[in-house]
Amino acid sequence: MAGKQATKTLKKEAAPAIGLFPYWVAAAGWAVPGLGHLLLKKWDRAAVFFVSIGALAVLGLASGGHLYSPDLSSPFDTLGFLADLCAGCFYLAARILGLGAFDIGQAWGDYGTVFFLTAGLLNLLCLLDAYDIAVGKKE
Amino acid sequence: MVRVGTIALTHFQAILLFAFFTSLVFAFLSRKTLNERLKYLLWAFLGFVLVAVALGWLMYPFPRP
Repeated sequence: MAGKQATKTLKKEAAPAIGLFPYWVAAAGWAVPGLGHLLLKKWDRAAVFFVSIGALAVLGLASGGHLYSPDLSSPFDTLGFLADLCAGCFYLAARILGLGAFDIGQAWGDYGTVFFLTAGLLNLLCLLDAYDIAVGKKE
Repeated sequence: MVRVGTIALTHFQAILLFAFFTSLVFAFLSRKTLNERLKYLLWAFLGFVLVAVALGWLMYPFPRP
Protein backbone atom coordinates (compact mmCIF):
# COMPACT_ATOMS: atom_id res chain seq x y z
CA MET A 1 0.00 0.00 0.00
CA ALA A 2 2.79 2.39 0.94
CA GLY A 3 4.65 1.24 -2.21
CA LYS A 4 1.70 2.13 -4.48
CA GLN A 5 1.37 5.56 -2.86
CA ALA A 6 5.07 6.19 -3.36
CA THR A 7 4.81 5.18 -7.03
CA LYS A 8 1.87 7.51 -7.59
CA THR A 9 3.72 10.40 -5.92
CA LEU A 10 6.83 9.73 -8.01
CA LYS A 11 4.75 9.68 -11.22
CA LYS A 12 3.11 13.01 -10.33
CA GLU A 13 6.46 14.60 -9.60
CA ALA A 14 8.00 13.23 -12.83
CA ALA A 15 5.18 14.49 -15.10
CA PRO A 16 6.25 17.86 -16.57
CA ALA A 17 4.03 20.88 -16.07
CA ILE A 18 2.42 21.30 -19.50
CA GLY A 19 0.01 24.08 -18.71
CA LEU A 20 -2.34 25.49 -21.28
CA PHE A 21 0.21 26.06 -24.06
CA PRO A 22 -0.64 22.90 -26.04
CA TYR A 23 -4.31 23.89 -26.01
CA TRP A 24 -3.46 27.37 -27.25
CA VAL A 25 -1.37 25.78 -30.00
CA ALA A 26 -4.28 23.57 -31.02
CA ALA A 27 -6.69 26.52 -30.93
CA ALA A 28 -4.31 28.61 -33.04
CA GLY A 29 -3.99 25.70 -35.48
CA TRP A 30 -7.76 25.57 -35.82
CA ALA A 31 -8.14 29.31 -36.24
CA VAL A 32 -5.48 29.65 -38.95
CA PRO A 33 -4.16 26.50 -40.63
CA GLY A 34 -0.47 26.17 -39.86
CA LEU A 35 -0.41 28.77 -37.09
CA GLY A 36 -0.06 26.09 -34.40
CA HIS A 37 3.09 24.78 -36.09
CA LEU A 38 4.34 28.33 -36.53
CA LEU A 39 4.09 28.85 -32.75
CA LEU A 40 6.14 25.68 -32.34
CA LYS A 41 8.74 27.02 -34.80
CA LYS A 42 8.05 24.27 -37.36
CA TRP A 43 8.29 26.73 -40.22
CA ASP A 44 8.19 24.29 -43.12
CA ARG A 45 5.11 22.48 -41.86
CA ALA A 46 3.37 25.76 -41.04
CA ALA A 47 3.88 27.06 -44.56
CA VAL A 48 2.85 23.84 -46.28
CA PHE A 49 -0.27 23.35 -44.17
CA PHE A 50 -1.41 26.93 -44.65
CA VAL A 51 -0.89 26.91 -48.41
CA SER A 52 -2.37 23.44 -48.99
CA ILE A 53 -5.42 23.79 -46.77
CA GLY A 54 -5.96 27.33 -47.96
CA ALA A 55 -5.75 26.25 -51.57
CA LEU A 56 -8.29 23.47 -51.05
CA ALA A 57 -10.65 25.83 -49.25
CA VAL A 58 -10.36 28.58 -51.84
CA LEU A 59 -10.71 26.15 -54.73
CA GLY A 60 -13.74 24.69 -53.04
CA LEU A 61 -15.46 28.04 -52.70
CA ALA A 62 -14.46 29.15 -56.18
CA SER A 63 -15.90 25.91 -57.57
CA GLY A 64 -19.31 26.71 -56.16
CA GLY A 65 -19.02 24.47 -53.14
CA HIS A 66 -21.75 24.25 -50.54
CA LEU A 67 -21.01 25.21 -46.94
CA TYR A 68 -23.00 23.28 -44.38
CA SER A 69 -24.96 25.02 -41.66
CA PRO A 70 -25.65 23.50 -38.25
CA ASP A 71 -28.78 21.42 -38.66
CA LEU A 72 -29.36 19.03 -35.79
CA SER A 73 -32.25 17.35 -37.59
CA SER A 74 -29.85 15.84 -40.12
CA PRO A 75 -26.78 14.01 -38.78
CA PHE A 76 -25.01 14.22 -42.15
CA ASP A 77 -25.50 17.98 -42.32
CA THR A 78 -24.24 18.29 -38.75
CA LEU A 79 -21.13 16.25 -39.57
CA GLY A 80 -20.61 18.34 -42.70
CA PHE A 81 -20.92 21.51 -40.65
CA LEU A 82 -18.36 20.25 -38.12
CA ALA A 83 -15.96 19.32 -40.91
CA ASP A 84 -16.36 22.72 -42.57
CA LEU A 85 -15.92 24.47 -39.23
CA CYS A 86 -12.54 22.77 -38.79
CA ALA A 87 -11.24 24.94 -41.63
CA GLY A 88 -11.18 27.81 -39.13
CA CYS A 89 -10.69 31.27 -40.59
CA PHE A 90 -11.54 30.09 -44.10
CA TYR A 91 -14.98 28.94 -42.99
CA LEU A 92 -15.59 32.08 -40.94
CA ALA A 93 -14.46 34.35 -43.77
CA ALA A 94 -16.65 32.49 -46.25
CA ARG A 95 -19.67 32.85 -44.00
CA ILE A 96 -19.01 36.55 -43.38
CA LEU A 97 -18.57 37.18 -47.11
CA GLY A 98 -21.68 35.14 -47.90
CA LEU A 99 -19.86 32.53 -49.97
CA GLY A 100 -20.55 28.84 -50.18
CA ALA A 101 -24.31 29.14 -50.15
CA PHE A 102 -24.87 27.25 -53.38
CA ASP A 103 -27.45 24.54 -53.68
CA ILE A 104 -25.76 21.19 -53.15
CA GLY A 105 -28.04 19.77 -55.82
CA GLN A 106 -26.08 21.61 -58.50
CA ALA A 107 -23.64 19.11 -59.96
CA TRP A 108 -20.90 21.58 -60.68
CA GLY A 109 -20.74 22.53 -57.01
CA ASP A 110 -20.19 19.00 -55.74
CA TYR A 111 -16.43 18.95 -56.18
CA GLY A 112 -16.18 22.28 -54.40
CA THR A 113 -18.15 20.94 -51.44
CA VAL A 114 -15.74 18.02 -51.13
CA PHE A 115 -12.69 20.29 -51.50
CA PHE A 116 -13.85 22.42 -48.60
CA LEU A 117 -14.76 19.44 -46.43
CA THR A 118 -11.30 18.01 -47.08
CA ALA A 119 -9.67 21.29 -46.13
CA GLY A 120 -11.49 21.20 -42.79
CA LEU A 121 -10.64 17.58 -42.06
CA LEU A 122 -6.99 18.03 -43.01
CA ASN A 123 -6.81 21.03 -40.68
CA LEU A 124 -8.19 18.83 -37.92
CA LEU A 125 -5.30 16.41 -38.47
CA CYS A 126 -2.85 19.31 -38.50
CA LEU A 127 -4.06 20.82 -35.25
CA LEU A 128 -3.91 17.43 -33.55
CA ASP A 129 -0.34 17.07 -34.86
CA ALA A 130 0.53 20.49 -33.43
CA TYR A 131 -0.94 19.47 -30.07
CA ASP A 132 1.10 16.25 -30.03
CA ILE A 133 4.28 18.19 -30.77
CA ALA A 134 3.46 20.71 -28.03
CA VAL A 135 2.98 17.98 -25.39
CA GLY A 136 6.16 16.24 -26.50
CA LYS A 137 4.67 13.10 -28.07
CA LYS A 138 6.19 14.00 -31.44
CA GLU A 139 9.06 16.15 -32.71
CA MET B 1 -16.45 20.55 -66.32
CA VAL B 2 -16.05 22.30 -62.97
CA ARG B 3 -16.46 26.04 -62.90
CA VAL B 4 -13.84 28.10 -61.06
CA GLY B 5 -14.82 31.69 -61.63
CA THR B 6 -14.00 32.28 -65.27
CA ILE B 7 -11.67 29.26 -65.34
CA ALA B 8 -13.11 25.90 -66.21
CA LEU B 9 -11.42 22.85 -64.70
CA THR B 10 -11.91 19.41 -66.12
CA HIS B 11 -12.73 16.60 -63.73
CA PHE B 12 -9.21 15.23 -64.19
CA GLN B 13 -7.69 18.59 -63.28
CA ALA B 14 -9.84 18.65 -60.13
CA ILE B 15 -8.59 15.16 -59.25
CA LEU B 16 -4.96 16.22 -59.75
CA LEU B 17 -5.32 19.30 -57.57
CA PHE B 18 -7.14 17.40 -54.83
CA ALA B 19 -4.59 14.58 -54.87
CA PHE B 20 -1.62 16.95 -54.85
CA PHE B 21 -2.66 19.08 -51.88
CA THR B 22 -3.94 16.16 -49.84
CA SER B 23 -0.78 14.13 -50.46
CA LEU B 24 1.37 17.13 -49.58
CA VAL B 25 -0.28 17.52 -46.18
CA PHE B 26 -0.06 13.79 -45.46
CA ALA B 27 3.61 13.75 -46.45
CA PHE B 28 4.45 16.53 -44.02
CA LEU B 29 2.34 15.02 -41.26
CA SER B 30 3.80 11.54 -41.42
CA ARG B 31 7.41 11.95 -42.58
CA LYS B 32 10.34 13.92 -41.20
CA THR B 33 13.14 14.22 -43.76
CA LEU B 34 12.84 15.85 -47.18
CA ASN B 35 13.60 12.64 -49.08
CA GLU B 36 11.02 10.67 -47.14
CA ARG B 37 8.45 13.39 -47.70
CA LEU B 38 9.10 13.54 -51.43
CA LYS B 39 8.83 9.76 -51.78
CA TYR B 40 5.63 9.68 -49.75
CA LEU B 41 4.18 12.61 -51.71
CA LEU B 42 4.81 10.87 -55.01
CA TRP B 43 3.47 7.53 -53.78
CA ALA B 44 0.32 9.03 -52.25
CA PHE B 45 -0.33 11.31 -55.26
CA LEU B 46 -0.07 8.44 -57.72
CA GLY B 47 -2.23 6.30 -55.48
CA PHE B 48 -4.98 8.90 -55.34
CA VAL B 49 -4.98 9.51 -59.09
CA LEU B 50 -4.74 5.87 -60.14
CA VAL B 51 -7.49 4.76 -57.77
CA ALA B 52 -9.73 7.59 -58.97
CA VAL B 53 -9.16 6.63 -62.60
CA ALA B 54 -9.71 2.94 -61.80
CA LEU B 55 -12.98 3.72 -60.01
CA GLY B 56 -14.05 5.78 -62.99
CA TRP B 57 -13.49 2.87 -65.33
CA LEU B 58 -15.28 0.50 -62.95
CA MET B 59 -18.31 2.79 -63.07
CA TYR B 60 -18.14 3.15 -66.85
CA PRO B 61 -20.43 0.19 -67.71
CA PHE B 62 -23.22 1.60 -65.55
CA PRO B 63 -25.38 4.19 -67.32
CA ARG B 64 -26.16 7.57 -65.75
CA PRO B 65 -29.84 8.11 -64.85
